[in-house]
Order: sequence, then C-alpha cells, then structure tokens
Amino acid sequence: MLCQHCGKNQATTFYKENINGQTKQLALCPQCAAELTGETPTFGSLFNSSFWNDDFFKDPFSTWGSSLFSSPKQAISGGRRCNTCGMTESELRRTGRAGCGDCYNSFSDILLPYIKKLHGAAAHVGTAPKQVEQSKNPLDELKTRLSDAVKSENYEEAAKLRDEIRRQEGEQNG
Amino acid sequence: MAEFEFHGGFAELAVSTRVRLARNFKGYTYRDLTAEKQKEIADKIYNAINAAPAIAKQFTFSEIKAGSEDALSKVETHQISPELAQNGGYLIATENGGVSIMIGEEDHMRLQVMGSGLCPKECMQEASRLASLIESQIPMDYDKNLGYLTACPSNIGTGLRASVMLHLPMLERAGGISELLNAAGRQGFTVRGAYGEGSRAVGGFYQLSNQITLGISEDNIIEKLIEICTEVIEKEKNLRHRVSSQHELELTDGVCRAVGTLKNARQIQTNEAIDCLSQILIGISMKYLQGVSPEDIWKTEQRIQPAVLGGTTNERDKKRADILRNLTKPLEIII
Repeated sequence: MLCQHCGKNQATTFYKENINGQTKQLALCPQCAAELTGETPTFGSLFNSSFWNDDFFKDPFSTWGSSLFSSPKQAISGGRRCNTCGMTESELRRTGRAGCGDCYNSFSDILLPYIKKLHGAAAHVGTAPKQVEQSKNPLDELKTRLSDAVKSENYEEAAKLRDEIRRQEGEQNG
Repeated sequence: MAEFEFHGGFAELAVSTRVRLARNFKGYTYRDLTAEKQKEIADKIYNAINAAPAIAKQFTFSEIKAGSEDALSKVETHQISPELAQNGGYLIATENGGVSIMIGEEDHMRLQVMGSGLCPKECMQEASRLASLIESQIPMDYDKNLGYLTACPSNIGTGLRASVMLHLPMLERAGGISELLNAAGRQGFTVRGAYGEGSRAVGGFYQLSNQITLGISEDNIIEKLIEICTEVIEKEKNLRHRVSSQHELELTDGVCRAVGTLKNARQIQTNEAIDCLSQILIGISMKYLQGVSPEDIWKTEQRIQPAVLGGTTNERDKKRADILRNLTKPLEIII
C-alpha cells in the first residue's frame, strides 16, 4: 500500500489521531510519519519492519514492475476488459494486480511475458490441488491403486484394476 | 502473543522461519469483494478445517477490525500483515499464533506458519498439510501451466514465500551483505534488513526469502533456502570466531555495555533496544553470557514493539525498559 500522504513510498506506519472526538487514520511511509507525528523516522520504520515487505512487486513502480506496468502510453491505449471481473487493461497496468483468475486469460498477452520475465519460467512444477491432480490423469491413479493392491496381496482387486488400465490405455491409443 | 509451532536449529543465528502460501478460490474475484463474500470465504475455510476435528480444535476464528489496536499489535507479533490490519478481514489462527490464516489480504487466503530457529521444512510440512485440507474441499483458482493463481503475478505458481530471519552482525561489519545479496539473487532469493529502512538493518537482523515462485517446486525452494542459510550461518560463525580472537576487547565491551544498558535503563527506544538485544545474542553465542536463551530474546523482541506496548511514546519507552530489565535479570557475564 502506498503512503496516503505523499502517495509515493510504501506505507509502513498506521497513524491515528483523535481531534475533538473525530478519529482520522492514515497509512504513512516512514518519512511522512516522522514529519506528521514528530516521531523519529526510526520509530515509523520499526513499527512493522520490512518483515512483511516480501511481495516484491506490490509496488507496480518498483524497478522490476516498471518495465511493464507503469508505461503511461500503454496505459492510455488499453480499452480491453476482463469479462469476469471488469478489470480494464489500464487498471491492470496501473495496479500490477489481476482482478480475478480469468484475468490471466483475458490479458494473457500482457501477463504471460511479464510472468516469464519475473520468474524466468512460465510453467508450474510445484504441487497441485488434490482435485486437479486426480483429474489430470486417471490412469496414473489407477496404476497407483494397482501397485497398492499388489503390495497388499489383494490379487482380485489387482486383476480388476489391471483390466481397467488395459481398457483405458486401449481407448487412449485407439 | 505469537509463539512458535516449531523449533529449529541454529537458534542463536537463525531467529525465526516463516512460510506463507497464497491461495485464491474459484468463483470469487480478487478485488472489490463485498463484506458478505469475504465472510463467505472465511466461513468456507473454517468449515474446511473443521472437517478435521483434531486440527480444528487448535484454531480460533476471529474478525480483524480495520486499524484496531488489536490488529496493529498482531502485525507487530508478525501474526497478520499490515495490509490485513489496514483493510480488516478475518483471522483463523492457532492459540499460540504460530499458524495464521488471513482472509482479507490481496489474495483470498494467506496461510502462514512460523517457527523459531531454522525450520523451513517443518513449517512447510504444516502449511502443506493445512492447505491440502482446505483445497480438498474448496475449489482453487489453479491453472495447470501457471499453478496457483494469485492477485500479484509475483506470487503465481507455488504461491510460496519462505523466509528466515538471520542475525548477521559480523557479516554486516565485514561488508559481506552485498556479496550475500548477489549470491542469493543468483538463486532466486533476496535479502533485506528485518528492522529499519534503507541501508542500515538495525541490530544486524536480515530476512532471506525466495523471490521466484514459478518454475520451481516447493521442496526445491525450501532446500535452497536451507542451503543458503546454512552457508551464511557458517560464514557468520567463522567471522565471529575471527573477531573474538583479534578484537576480543571490542567485542566483549559491546556485549557487556548492552547488558549494562538493558539491566539498568529506565526508558529505552525500540532501535536502541534492538541493537542491545543484538549484542546480547552475540554474547550468548560466544559464551560470554548465560542465563537467557536466544528464544527468550526473540519473544521479547515482539513484546517491545510500539503497538504491542501501547500508550504514549514516554509510556512505551518506560514499559519497554521494564520488560528488558526483567528479561536480563537472570543474565550473567561469564568472562
């Protein structure tokens, strides 16, 4: 989140003041916090430390993000929208955030090259949610069950599974 | 007060470990979520956890009120992120705060497991176990090429951010941080000061974490993190021994002065306190001091943060000094 005072730096301090019963709340960067509260800058910076500052591209104007998201020319030219969440191309470029999962499809021409640049890769190799894993290849699951059945000497089940695997492999090949 | 679920090795040099998974659920947008939708997501997650009663009984469900004192103090104990404290949302967390599931961040769910010392593997195991429990019941925004979809492309893929807070005062003194930064950078990791902004990391505390989340498996990220950490820890240890043999007087003077300050101060600001605690940690690891464990110091670090203490600046400085005098009571100089 950007500082609500200068609008430039990352906010690290939440400042709350109460004037005549009216509470005002601001998210500030260390410099503005120091200026407004009279506290030393170190207080502001220590307030939450950079412990949480690990979303490296939260600030779209950071060095890495700037190459893609902060070009004003590109921002003006964009009029496309994501059908699911209504995110526009210029919003996407400005915020550096997808508005929903479908944005990755709607704006794949913008996001995919950017992702590749960020991560040096464009293919996931980590874990998948259980539901997805199962639907990925039913044959693999059958094979796992077959080897489990053999291990537990459940030959009747193993024979059934073997036949099912042959049938499905036949379908795939044929 | 946030305590840890896991206790890893190298507690004198590796202060803490944190693993965080970002997840989004199918059928909900990431932005402009209504309060009802957000509550719906929070309820779904809580229900999913409740499907495993043995796990569920360790968790409590609470609402985070935007900008509240409670929210801010949870930020300082690292239980929730500043963003959640600012926006408000929900928290499903273990009583001791070691595991927290945040709802209301830029992603639908941020699942975090913390441990003391160097324990990325243990934290990751716990995070995976909980994530699979939830994922088996709520459909995820997942793409077979891009992995877990996140609001920010920097988290896409595994959605995993694993970090270790290291105490590297001697490496810093020897000018080795930039070299570490380069070496870590080559492997997709980054290093930043854990406290303070800009060039100076107060107390020599640094946070090492992965930058790349796509195209690398969770196990690989964790293994690399451990590898880099062990290497850095070894370096820091060697430097400490070198400094202790060549500049022992200077080193012990720093440690003993810090003991004096913390045992006697009647008011103290956060920065000075962190610097002194850093010296105490050096003293314990060099066996100049005894009576207090590194873990006690880390826990105290959380208790002396401004929002946790509350009150005016003067009141906080006094309370902080009181806590630190109490902490250092059993501390003995043994050289």
